[in-house]
Amino acid sequence: MNETDRGQTRGGLRSDQFSGLMLLALALYVGWENRAYPLGSLQEPGPGYMPLLLVIFLGAMGLLIALWGIKSAPLASMKWTEATRAVVILVACAVATFALERIGYRITMIALLIFFLGALERKRPLPVALVSVGFSFASFYVIGDLLHVPLPRSPWGF
Amino acid sequence: MAETFQNLLLGFSVALQPSILVYAFVGCLIGTLVGMMPGLGPLAGISLLLPATFGLNPIIAIVLLAGVYYGAMYGGSTTSILLRIPGEAASVMTCVDGYAMTQRGRAGPALAIAAIGSFVAGTLGVIGLMLLAPTLAEFALRFGPPEYTALLLMGLFILAYMSGGSMLKTLAMAALGLMLGMIGIDVMSGYTRFSLGIVELGDGVGIVPVAVGLFGVSEILLAAGATAALPVQRPKLRELIPSREEFRLSAGPIARGSLLGFMIGIIPGSAHIISSFVSYGIERRLSKHPERFGQGAIEGVAGPESANNAAATGAFVPMMALGIPTSPVTAVMIAAIMVHGILPGPMLIQQQPELFWGFVASMYVGNVVLLILNLPMVGLFVNLLRIPYAYLYPCILCFCILGTYSVSNSLVDVWILLVMGGLGYVLRKLGYDLAPVALGLVLAPMLELSLRQSLAMSAGDYGIFLDRPIATTMLALGVVLFLFALKPLVFKGKDWRDQVGLEKQ
Amino acid sequence: MIRSILAAGVLLASTGAFAQGAFPARPITMIVAFPPGGVADITARPTAAAMEKILKQPVSVTNRPGAAGAVGNAAVANAKPDGYTILMALSSISVIPAADELFNRRPAYALDQFAPIALISADPTILVSHPSLPVKTLKDLVALARARPGELSYSSSGVYGALHMPMEIFMHATKLKMRHVPTTGGGPAINAILGGHVALTAGGPAAISGHVKAGKMRPLASWGATRHASYPNVPTFMEMGYKNVEYYIWAGMFAPKATPDAVMKVLRDTARKTVADPDFRKAMAAVDSLVQYKDAPEFQQYWMADAKRLAGLVRIVGKVEAKK
Repeated sequence: MNETDRGQTRGGLRSDQFSGLMLLALALYVGWENRAYPLGSLQEPGPGYMPLLLVIFLGAMGLLIALWGIKSAPLASMKWTEATRAVVILVACAVATFALERIGYRITMIALLIFFLGALERKRPLPVALVSVGFSFASFYVIGDLLHVPLPRSPWGF
Repeated sequence: MAETFQNLLLGFSVALQPSILVYAFVGCLIGTLVGMMPGLGPLAGISLLLPATFGLNPIIAIVLLAGVYYGAMYGGSTTSILLRIPGEAASVMTCVDGYAMTQRGRAGPALAIAAIGSFVAGTLGVIGLMLLAPTLAEFALRFGPPEYTALLLMGLFILAYMSGGSMLKTLAMAALGLMLGMIGIDVMSGYTRFSLGIVELGDGVGIVPVAVGLFGVSEILLAAGATAALPVQRPKLRELIPSREEFRLSAGPIARGSLLGFMIGIIPGSAHIISSFVSYGIERRLSKHPERFGQGAIEGVAGPESANNAAATGAFVPMMALGIPTSPVTAVMIAAIMVHGILPGPMLIQQQPELFWGFVASMYVGNVVLLILNLPMVGLFVNLLRIPYAYLYPCILCFCILGTYSVSNSLVDVWILLVMGGLGYVLRKLGYDLAPVALGLVLAPMLELSLRQSLAMSAGDYGIFLDRPIATTMLALGVVLFLFALKPLVFKGKDWRDQVGLEKQ
Repeated sequence: MIRSILAAGVLLASTGAFAQGAFPARPITMIVAFPPGGVADITARPTAAAMEKILKQPVSVTNRPGAAGAVGNAAVANAKPDGYTILMALSSISVIPAADELFNRRPAYALDQFAPIALISADPTILVSHPSLPVKTLKDLVALARARPGELSYSSSGVYGALHMPMEIFMHATKLKMRHVPTTGGGPAINAILGGHVALTAGGPAAISGHVKAGKMRPLASWGATRHASYPNVPTFMEMGYKNVEYYIWAGMFAPKATPDAVMKVLRDTARKTVADPDFRKAMAAVDSLVQYKDAPEFQQYWMADAKRLAGLVRIVGKVEAKK
């Protein structure tokens, strides 16, 4: 708890204050978007009625979390050791999703697995090749051929 | 009674025919595999298999599909427990304590209890279906929008018991989930809300990509830094069997979960998922040591798993006794018998006794098959954990993408999966509990719709909730539950901050 | 794995060899914009099976559900117009653009992005009441609804859905006012009336027949031009004197607009042969659906008239709702 103490003396934003304020900001944004939908009345709630109630509720919760969060751990003391790696993984998945219907399921999955195993985990080439090719073909066979899910193919029919 | 027995004999004479037995087995096997795939749940499984059944005879078709259905309910727990990836939406709650047990090296017992609980719940459910179907079906029909509103409100009050963390944070996450549920076309007015111009979002955000993203993908992201340090688990055979203590603790939750799940399953609508949430909330409330929940309490696996399997069987009550589809799954099954010229209706049991009793008998058989299939497999499944994590997680991610995509051939679902994975990662870093998000997402559209339907029925008169005995009773029960949750706040003034959970950190 | 590589190789070879040949040279995908088991799906499966026999090429049904059919319809509207992607659509295809316009949404697709191939089936909806409602005939109902304006309620499959539009047509023709309780689909709409939570609904003939026979619903009138074969005692609105109160849930095949004429001709011929196929007829009879074949020119006319009428109705209903 040493770090917490140091944080206290230094002041700075607390993690709960941060998350509470983010929730409040989200609530405000959704509330702003919600003005497009008629509210209706208590007797006949319109499409904007329930969202408005929820926005008020979420905003209130966010505010309360931020207010009571004064003694939570400082934001600056949080460890984000895995963050870079997490972002890399997410971005790789996003690229794969983008590619999925463009270059087909099997090629995408082979590429994604080669990236994870080869580039990120630095495994030896042979297992990487076996796992990536084996996984994509086997899963395509089970889901695509046996269960008849029309998994995307590349423009080259593969 | 004698008549029931005779009918059951007729049923078994149908169900034990080798060809039907084979299809029941195949259905269970496919269901288990489909349920294990992250994203692919019972609905996706039977939808995928439906076209293949058009060429079979109606009894075989329905036996096969039913096998897939409850097989998938069984299978869903496996990945939840081992990898914290909900195989299907109903096993979200199993993730919490099931995975905590895995981390403590108790994966085997968790899997075994899930299988046993599912078996007990499934069998009790079939007995209920057999003996009470016509009676209960009449009760099910009395569930209109007002009753539904009351039920869902009760589900919301359960929130208070669901998480051990900060009450404020739990409520905030529930609100977030409810807000996610507002996305999509508003059934009452036709407005498309918060869809960001994406046509696919017109249907709203599906629970499957959200659950898999929030629980599964976020777990992988959290572990990303620790990949090298994570030890390969090597469970011993002795550790696969639940201890006597674990059996003792599970008995109550399994019994309560079965009853509760069956009752919720009967009610028309797609609220079956909440049976597992409610069961978890109740077990935590009844437990003498609620603080164990979330840290690997076996009750938190036994209750919800039994509840969701009993709900699966309960859903067959209105389908068989009244011929009405009360959930997307039973709608597909009705389609499967409709294409053979059997039109659904309240006379189904009388007109097609072989179909009904063969179906009932095949469910007895199917549940036994699943138990035999799953208990020995526990040892096999646990060996999944022996795969080095560096190989395991990329494959899991690919499975998540594949499963999510396959449900409706939609890339939008995959994007939702990834966004939810990132969001879940950040929220968990900041100390938020994510189960309420899933519950909120499931409840929001149904709650809003049934409330507004009720008001449309009564032309804006809230008295409709007090005119109808079932609705009134449930609302009263909900309020009592809510007051119980507030009690510690009011009476133990001193440590109320503790209860709100803000000073714990 | 080896087999898939071989299969892929054969596939590549075959596309190469027959690329210049006659349509179809490879499998055709029939998109259904609804989940498996719905009306569109149940119609599409036997249609595809019969087409397969005629074309000697696989015709696979792909479900692309979402946004009440908008997602799947839009997918075909924007597909490559080569005849290898076709759509089995329901009548709702005409309502979605009108509803998009009403709510200022970016339209998912426009009607002129489609070229009709053939109308396959058309089922009139049937007005049913809960047995507790003291009406035996349509006349009783109209009298009751007039005496108690805005008090009777009806369920539907959703605003502007296939079961909402016929009720609006009826109410518009009779100037009656009733309470609308939308639900999330055809099944829930029927459950609502079975439980007595609403008094009326417009149901598909197959979906309600079991309940009507068991006496749990009372059929009052049909939206068809002639009486429905399965309900010979139920009069049509037209014979009761309500002109233009006519409505069908129809299923028809469409291709993207720019599909070449030669390909369209093959598809149209196939559709004509399909509806004569005995297996297809048997499958449609099993689900109590009426085969109602119309070739492209006729279908186009029918469709345009239908779309225009429904779009007009959506606007009228929309304005009524906005005024409240």
